[in-house]
Amino acid sequence: MMRPFLALMLNGFREARRNRVTVVVGAFAFGLLVASSLLTNLSVSTFDRVLTDVGIGVMSIVLVLLAVFLSSGMLSREIERKTLFLIVSKPISRALFLTARFAGNMLTLGALLLAMGVLFFGQIALYGTLITQAQFVAIGMLFFELMVLSSIGFAMSSFSSQMVSATVTIGAYFAGHLGGDIYELSSKAESPLLQWVGKATYYALPNLSRLNYRVQATYEIPTPVAELAPSMLYAVAYSAVMIIIAVILFSRRDFK
Amino acid sequence: MSAPETLAIETRDLSKTYRLGFWMNKRVLALQGLTLAIQPGQVYGLLGPNGAGKSTTIKILMNLVQATSGLARIFGHEPTAKEARRNVGFLPENPAPYEYLTGEEFVRLAGQLVGMSGHELDQRVKEVLGAVGMSRTAGLQIRRYSKGMVQRIGLAQAIVGRPKLLILDEPTSGLDPVGRREIRDLILQERERGTTVLFCTHIIPDVEALCNRVAVLVNGKLAREGSVQELLTTQVPVVELIIEGLGPDAVRGLGHPLEQVQDLTNRVLVRASDVHVQPLLKSVLGAGGRVAQLQPARFSLEDLFLQAMSEAKHGTVGGEITS
Repeated sequence: MMRPFLALMLNGFREARRNRVTVVVGAFAFGLLVASSLLTNLSVSTFDRVLTDVGIGVMSIVLVLLAVFLSSGMLSREIERKTLFLIVSKPISRALFLTARFAGNMLTLGALLLAMGVLFFGQIALYGTLITQAQFVAIGMLFFELMVLSSIGFAMSSFSSQMVSATVTIGAYFAGHLGGDIYELSSKAESPLLQWVGKATYYALPNLSRLNYRVQATYEIPTPVAELAPSMLYAVAYSAVMIIIAVILFSRRDFK
Repeated sequence: MSAPETLAIETRDLSKTYRLGFWMNKRVLALQGLTLAIQPGQVYGLLGPNGAGKSTTIKILMNLVQATSGLARIFGHEPTAKEARRNVGFLPENPAPYEYLTGEEFVRLAGQLVGMSGHELDQRVKEVLGAVGMSRTAGLQIRRYSKGMVQRIGLAQAIVGRPKLLILDEPTSGLDPVGRREIRDLILQERERGTTVLFCTHIIPDVEALCNRVAVLVNGKLAREGSVQELLTTQVPVVELIIEGLGPDAVRGLGHPLEQVQDLTNRVLVRASDVHVQPLLKSVLGAGGRVAQLQPARFSLEDLFLQAMSEAKHGTVGGEITS
């Protein structure tokens, strides 16, 4: 069972590597990282902060867009082009196919995050500014944020088109960062129904703000591991639920 | 007494209805009560026009679509079980392998998915690429391949795991005559090895050349089933006559049941069943006509196919649609 899983996972990574979009995105990230160096020339007093904020911010935007593109299009493209017929007709379960594709996706995003991280720290070292634990935490937790977003994209793409899937995933990204506000607003509502709906929405949406440590990185605030572990667990659990939903929907689907 | 051999493929009252439209209120009866029993070692042809239910049958067997009702088994396993597909090689219609891979990489991936690895996989990949005539171009990305080359890679990935059952959906479509011959030879080789082959096509000469047994599907229903020999010999013998001295209307006016009357400029070609020939001859001669030629007509699989279609009253594309 492991061999087909690994074969499909590595194939997903190879697909992204040979896909020009990845190259374009890599070049884009590199360009923006260089641009951040130029930006720092404009600021004198907060040199370290701008460097960290822009660097990790760019990394986040680029990888979030890539995660949405890869996850929301992967299954629908396979179904549309019928490449899937040759794979799911092999002695593997659809659940294995889907989880292996998801793992391949995460491997791609992880490799890109690593490469961008190396570039980022290279830039930090080049300017002789301080490398902090908070920067590592922000970059590491970005991986978990990407995992949650990818799992939503996968779940959507198991039954809808790439467009719908991408729209919902992007919507989930923004709503996920506003989760706290939604909760606050619902608490202030007078109607119990509205309170209930607001809280249900808060729990259903991914709480991406608890995976966002970019502010701490900018202000060099260290985060204890004990505080990170529940956030990581939350991301893994949320992604697992999304993948289970995707597996259930995908397993029942007819491929005409 | 030995135990009965497990059927390679078995379907009983297999049906599939697709629901279409925004409210899912249109129903397409793609397959209606199909019962088949395919013995190991047979080369079995599924014949039928577009929309007859051939591909739907194959997709149910390969767990790509779920049957609405009825039973399907591959070597005794339900299509949803992984075991059902363990010994099966599948080539879909217009196969679409990953275009970013090379032919060799794709066949290797297919081998890995059936559980092969290491030296065995290396050897087997080389072997099947040679068998489908793709050794020299296996290092090119699939996006650079012609349709025929993609079809060959599709076949290579189907046979890489040494399957006991090959399911091929239109395996020779899109191929030039040489390519078609090569694919046919490859299927014959697999038959020699004892592989069971189920293939669906509407290219009748392929069926005649390869199959032991045939099922004709029309409108999602089984219209004919049997060995090629059985199907052809059980037909009512037909005789062809060429008549001179009488026009087509005059021949029709003789009052005998005729299958076909065709004007051939000063001559008329008539097809009639064997039992009606003697009285027809008497009538033709009595009316002043002359029989220039008389010979038994050869009944082909194509005739059988067309007969089955005309019995089903055409209108078969996409299966029966109900609201």
